[in-house]
Amino acid sequence: MKIARLLASASVLAIAFSTGPARAADPVTLQYWVYSDFAQGDALKLQQEFIAEFEAAHPGVKIAISGKGDDDLTTGEVTGAASGNLPDVFMNGLAFGAQLVEAGALDNIYAKWMAMPQAFRDQFDKDAIASCTPKPDTMYCLPYTGFNEILFRNLTVLKAAGIDTTVPPKDWAEWFEQMKKVKAAGKFAMPDQTQVFNSVASTFSVVGPHEDWGIDFAAKKTKVKPESYAKALQLFVDMKPLSSGTSRNDQATKDLFITNQLAFHVIGPWVDPTYAQAAKDSGLKYDFVLVPGAKPGAHAGIKSYEILGVAPGKNAEIAWQFAAYVAEAKQMSRWAKLLSRYNANAAAMADPEVAKLPLIARSVEAVKYGLDVQPPYFVGAYPNCYNQIVTDNAAAVADGNETPAEGAASLVKELDACIAGD
Amino acid sequence: MIARRHVPHYLMLLPFLLLFAVFFLYPIASGLTYSFFDWNATSPARFVGIDNYQRIVASRDFRKAMVNLGTYIAITVPLGITVAFCLALLVDSFKGVWANLFRAAYFLPVILPAFLAATIWRWIYAPSFGLLNMVLGWFGVPSISFLNDTSTMLYALIAVDVWVSAGFNMVIILAGLKNIPAHYYEAARLDGANKLQQVLYITIPMLYPVLFFVVTYGFISALQVFDIPWLLTGSSFANYGGRQGALLFPVMDMMGRGFGALKFGQAAAYGFILTAVIVIFTAAMFAFGKRRFAQ
Repeated sequence: MKIARLLASASVLAIAFSTGPARAADPVTLQYWVYSDFAQGDALKLQQEFIAEFEAAHPGVKIAISGKGDDDLTTGEVTGAASGNLPDVFMNGLAFGAQLVEAGALDNIYAKWMAMPQAFRDQFDKDAIASCTPKPDTMYCLPYTGFNEILFRNLTVLKAAGIDTTVPPKDWAEWFEQMKKVKAAGKFAMPDQTQVFNSVASTFSVVGPHEDWGIDFAAKKTKVKPESYAKALQLFVDMKPLSSGTSRNDQATKDLFITNQLAFHVIGPWVDPTYAQAAKDSGLKYDFVLVPGAKPGAHAGIKSYEILGVAPGKNAEIAWQFAAYVAEAKQMSRWAKLLSRYNANAAAMADPEVAKLPLIARSVEAVKYGLDVQPPYFVGAYPNCYNQIVTDNAAAVADGNETPAEGAASLVKELDACIAGD
Repeated sequence: MIARRHVPHYLMLLPFLLLFAVFFLYPIASGLTYSFFDWNATSPARFVGIDNYQRIVASRDFRKAMVNLGTYIAITVPLGITVAFCLALLVDSFKGVWANLFRAAYFLPVILPAFLAATIWRWIYAPSFGLLNMVLGWFGVPSISFLNDTSTMLYALIAVDVWVSAGFNMVIILAGLKNIPAHYYEAARLDGANKLQQVLYITIPMLYPVLFFVVTYGFISALQVFDIPWLLTGSSFANYGGRQGALLFPVMDMMGRGFGALKFGQAAAYGFILTAVIVIFTAAMFAFGKRRFAQ
């Protein structure tokens, strides 16, 4: 009898201490993986403040933050999903979402999201939430930070080329004329936009309709249309003699801009701290404006978001609470004020103190026109060959190996074959 | 009785054997098993026989990676060792502080982090304003996009690779040079041998075991080339190998299939194909070396 009672007590204790949703009172350490630039300097200090506040409100909960490079985040999350050793809350890019879903790394947070007060849900940018919600009752991420490209202009170079810098170029035609003047003045107009998938997408956004970009996963075909894409390819041909030959991501490109050798740099706001520092140190004169579109009043550029994912498992509930806490308007306002970086919390972006920051104001405006880089998100993973085919094609046309019309037609064929897995 | 006497010895070996089995044998066996499965790391694996191997061998990227690898090895290994050998001879001819200075200078690229080396070289190779193009410009050569022109990309990589690896090989060859007795050279000089003859008939034959190691190691390293081309082309799991895959190599292709496309079965099969190539190469090298040693 005594033994039976002992066994019964042991069973109750075992159940009590076994798996199940972690309560706030349960001692738990959540692993929180972020991009490496979130784990350095001021950004890290602020993240640590968020963590300290959350820990104070949730006794027994500890958060361990780790900064990872882009590829390390993806490999760590994929292998973590395979080995059952996922971080509890983690960042990545929207474009990697489908891969992470396929790997089983992302919890469906729809029920948790819907359980949040309406006031919380209303804080977020609706398009960004739609990107995380590929179908009804399914939501894989909280949109976190983000970007839309803007056009950084080196004012010294433009003035030396005789260009009036008080008004940004109103459309592609005017912008292209300015590029030619810059080249005539012996400077570089643009980086080589064919070298990186995102800069190809960015150039397409100048002339192409958004619906002609991405993959139709149901039909297993690219959405790129030869007619609209040929126009984008013509832009690469036009820009070729004016470019620096470096990619938009190269350190050399930033160095050229800082040393007054490059006029334009179409990129996200993350280069601003570098340029702002150069403005202080060496007197760099620059500004940032919306990327001109094909016609006056139209604008271009790509947009994307960094996401917060929650791993499925016993810590999912408390991990969600932490993710919701850091993405909430109050925290996102502080983040935006400190770093002047756009994020997906529309309420934070509307905070008057945030909205008055020039880089934020420009980003909020730019994101209305932005082209999604790899849509649709969370539906299917882009095959490995896709990006390479796009960049190779753009470079081949820019080099004159094919005409824009031929290049656009061959691109569609190659992309369809790539998607079909040939 | 004898068996009992050896029990403590086996027990002492046990920690090593255990770790060897867990961290070496098990991953190999596991990888080999997965190479016959379609597996994305989380869904249940589906047995596909040799389909992964067939898909890899039939793929355009595999052919491209192998052609690139063959060309790369054919140039980088002999060139790298020749440069290292010449540097070792040069450093060996110096004495005292100069010898130390040059040895340290040539070894510096070996200890430089790969990303830093790649960043430096991206700057050197930059079109129009890069250091190399600037120098070429003095001689009237038009700007070359070394890392974006498919006809120059491989050679640009080889130059970086030789720069990085020469210091390591130089140190090994230099150690071998120091072990060659000086009286061989004295005898050769008395017989009227010039410098070149001394190198050809004394230095190289005496260095044979060292050169064999350097060549074998060079082959094995070259077969696994990854980080420098990855960084030079600014690759990521979504886009790697540079323009038209001109710097696509097998390890990059394997990584892309695994972490880019979540085809871990194919990545495992790729790993075994590459391992087989390395084993065959190394065995051939050893067979060749053994014959030469016997002579």
